[in-house]
Amino acid sequence: MYRKQVRRRRAVLVLLVVVALVLLSTQFSESQGGPLHSMQRAVASVFGPLEEGASRALKPGRDLVNWVDETFSARGQNGDLKSEVQDLRNQLAKSQSAEGENEQLRKLVGLDRGGTLAGYKPVTARVIGRSPTVWYSTVTVDKGSSSDVKLNDPVVDGDGLVGRVSDVTHGTAEVTLITDNRSAVSARVLPNGPEGVAEPEVGNPDALLLDFIDRNQAIHQGQLVVSAGWSNGSISSAFPPGVPIGKVSDATVGEQETYQRVHVTPFADMRNLDFVQVATGGPKRPGVAQ
Amino acid sequence: MIITRGIAVRLGLVVIGCVLLQVSFFSYLSLFGTTPDIVPLVVISLGLFGGAVVGAVIGFATGLLLDSVLLQTLGVSSLVLLSVGYLAGRYREGTEISNSLVPLLLIGALTTAAAAGFAAIQITLGVDAPVSLLVLREIFVQGLLAVLLAIPLYPLIRRILRPALVDSATVGRGRSPIRAGTTRPRRVRGRRIRRAAGVS
Repeated sequence: MYRKQVRRRRAVLVLLVVVALVLLSTQFSESQGGPLHSMQRAVASVFGPLEEGASRALKPGRDLVNWVDETFSARGQNGDLKSEVQDLRNQLAKSQSAEGENEQLRKLVGLDRGGTLAGYKPVTARVIGRSPTVWYSTVTVDKGSSSDVKLNDPVVDGDGLVGRVSDVTHGTAEVTLITDNRSAVSARVLPNGPEGVAEPEVGNPDALLLDFIDRNQAIHQGQLVVSAGWSNGSISSAFPPGVPIGKVSDATVGEQETYQRVHVTPFADMRNLDFVQVATGGPKRPGVAQ
Repeated sequence: MIITRGIAVRLGLVVIGCVLLQVSFFSYLSLFGTTPDIVPLVVISLGLFGGAVVGAVIGFATGLLLDSVLLQTLGVSSLVLLSVGYLAGRYREGTEISNSLVPLLLIGALTTAAAAGFAAIQITLGVDAPVSLLVLREIFVQGLLAVLLAIPLYPLIRRILRPALVDSATVGRGRSPIRAGTTRPRRVRGRRIRRAAGVS
């Protein structure tokens, strides 16, 4: 009797491990429209409204816990922010005069772009769920294909670039954040800085690493980093140019390394996203699936 | 654990509630610089109450649901969670839990193992991540948070599953986490016997 139980227990374990491995390998080799992806989207569609309801109901509790956590960290940030505000005021004065000149020059060359997301139709979406681990930085939003949201649409919030749409169901969409390990954004350091690739610093959801920046380039703390919107005609970045990503917090050069490691703090607070804007209906970007 | 249709429904609701609570509440929190994860905690608790087979099956199903809801790679969470559910169940089957601290420590240790297993699978799947102090801190703090969260959640799950838990006669009168709470009916029966015997 006992042996039978042991055999049954082992058989269940082996069966489940095999099924899990089959699922894992099948989904890797399968296309986006495959049966496993379709099944996954169906489950996500069913759970979408439940997630939305739970997210709304639990928001006061979340805010309370985060308020306690943020109060402790805000004490330390207060002094830094005061000096930063002073610097930004000076920068604002300079940039406002530059903006006027820029506008006149744009008219001269026939360009009329209102902002970094000009040509897109922004759709405001509520964040209704998010991944629990540092390995997947994804959020689920309550707008899907029914609101014209498509694969690889850029997603921003009031502070800057958040990520891009990586999967869509009828009523929800999965947004892969720029801090996800699968994410890489072509980025540029302002004002005249070089271009590199902004990748996540794995294990730290609040930081990015700007890679492929030549070691001889002078990068300073506080410089702004925006999306480069890189394109060579046949392939291009999924993100439009000029969307703010973050600011340089540190730059280090190893002795044997060709490139320097530029640490970037994202503007968007990835842990506390409530509402985001999905930039839908933008211009066709070659090589970007939709 | 005796699995009846009612208990199966309760188990299903616990799993769905746990996944919803995780993606809609706990994933937004930042405690000690990391995000608390209650999913391994719930699976380990169910393994401790139900045994190896229940732990493995619940772990697999919970992982599948979590990966589906978050549109992540199917099978990764299932593999990790079924392993910790099975291990928790094996511990329960092989060892008598006589101290109420044991389940909490076990939950902490197995949650740390789950976080480490998840990291190992991600690195095997090709995530280009150095094994940095940040990753190690994340794994360790996840285990610590699980112990703290288990203090209210473990008794709550036991309460939900109370009708299915078999009271172990060997446990005696100690405050064991696997007790099913069957002392009250005995007292009622004693009162009935006393009444029948004419003793007031």
